[in-house]
Amino acid sequence: MPLDALSDPTYLRSIIRLSLTVSLFAILLSTAVSLPVAFAVGFADFQGKRFVTAVINTGMGFPSVVVGLLVWYVLSNRGPLGTLNLIYTPEAMVISQLVLATPVITGVALSAVESVDDAVRDAAYGIGATRADVALITLKEARYGVITGILAGFGRAISEVGSVLIVGGNIAYADGTSKTRTLTTAIQFEVRKGEFETALVLGAVLLVLVLLVNGIVLRLGGR
Amino acid sequence: MNFELERASYGVDGTPILTAISLAVGAGEVVTVIGPSGAGKSTLLRLAALFERPTDGAVRCDGTEPWSLPRDDRLALRRRIGVVFQQASLFETSVARNVDAGRRIRRPWSSRLRGFVERLAARWIHGSPTVDDRTLEALALVGLEDEWDRDAASLSGGEAQRVSFARALAPRPELLVLDEPTSDLDPRNTAILERAIGRARDRDHGVLLATHDMHQAERISDRVAVLLDGELIEIGPPERVFEDPRDERTARFVRGDLLYDDNELLA
Repeated sequence: MPLDALSDPTYLRSIIRLSLTVSLFAILLSTAVSLPVAFAVGFADFQGKRFVTAVINTGMGFPSVVVGLLVWYVLSNRGPLGTLNLIYTPEAMVISQLVLATPVITGVALSAVESVDDAVRDAAYGIGATRADVALITLKEARYGVITGILAGFGRAISEVGSVLIVGGNIAYADGTSKTRTLTTAIQFEVRKGEFETALVLGAVLLVLVLLVNGIVLRLGGR
Repeated sequence: MNFELERASYGVDGTPILTAISLAVGAGEVVTVIGPSGAGKSTLLRLAALFERPTDGAVRCDGTEPWSLPRDDRLALRRRIGVVFQQASLFETSVARNVDAGRRIRRPWSSRLRGFVERLAARWIHGSPTVDDRTLEALALVGLEDEWDRDAASLSGGEAQRVSFARALAPRPELLVLDEPTSDLDPRNTAILERAIGRARDRDHGVLLATHDMHQAERISDRVAVLLDGELIEIGPPERVFEDPRDERTARFVRGDLLYDDNELLA
């Protein structure tokens, strides 16, 4: 019978909780990495800056399946970090989403930082600002672009299927609750079973979640 | 503050922009730098604001050479200098927050964090922002004390430049460095800023001003310095420089026939 999988609310709750936890954690870590890089590259004038920018922008379009394969190789039993036993765990999914979201957040934040007029930085120095003050003032001026970058990174992370499937394995516990099953991998799973109605409902839930997170972040950002 | 450039030169990639400039600005004195576009006025002001280090010669603030000091000590000196540029470049916040910015960044981080939390709380509890007397005092100097809670983005160009002046003045710097602050302004806003510069001088602020406007230089300066091709060719009281220049090039500049040869004008 269609929608059978959703008759148990604990199942739906568990995959929503895991999807949000993994993606939010990945975005938090990614933001912590991306913003300092975006500011360092945006502020500095060095040889090879265009190359670094090109690498970041290329990373924005990195195929997720390739990222999944690389992370799988690194974390698998035979890989360099195999002893950590992270493969097929939510932590592995966080790592793959982190790798995918970081170039997106860095690239958009870098573009936002570079779009702040040099005159604003001069004005900041003119009132006695230190480099840290100027960075903070630039962050405030570029905040809408930075927020857009974070939201784009979140969008990329939570809508991810390929890499989280490879490193997470789409595993459910015996009681049916999720171990590494997210909304996206659950949708893929239901489609493979031919349960299109269930997949559509899960898709609607994913959309509502993304809308909610976007609304909350934009509200916090003052937009 | 007694500010001094001593045979200061500046160049980029071996190309000289300023050559052996010697110039002093005392407390309560307005010194105006005039000269054609490209003469090096803005670069000279950037040296004075301690934004750039001279490639040769020295800058002295009360006899101290800032570029020989550790960074923190140099920052302390830089904070005794206020800067206004041709472009107002206000921050995307309210007028009061712009004017208060210089004082805010001088506070320790703990105090700034507390201020941030208090401001958020005040906005959520009382629903309205607050302003302090120092900010209002700086705004009153440019006639904008009633506009403190406006969004800076809603100001006209002239109002924005007046707020920029108040922002530079609020931390009470001893030297004001003003890079063509009125060049984009209408006569009314220009008059308001000139009056504010006069008041700053009355309060013993030294002022180093660059301008294209020779009438303005004549109106507000104690001394006028003429800069040409990166060299200071003449300095003296405005009436003497404009009416009895010692350098032939100054006379030609004042007459307006230094800048162009006939071919340039025809082109």
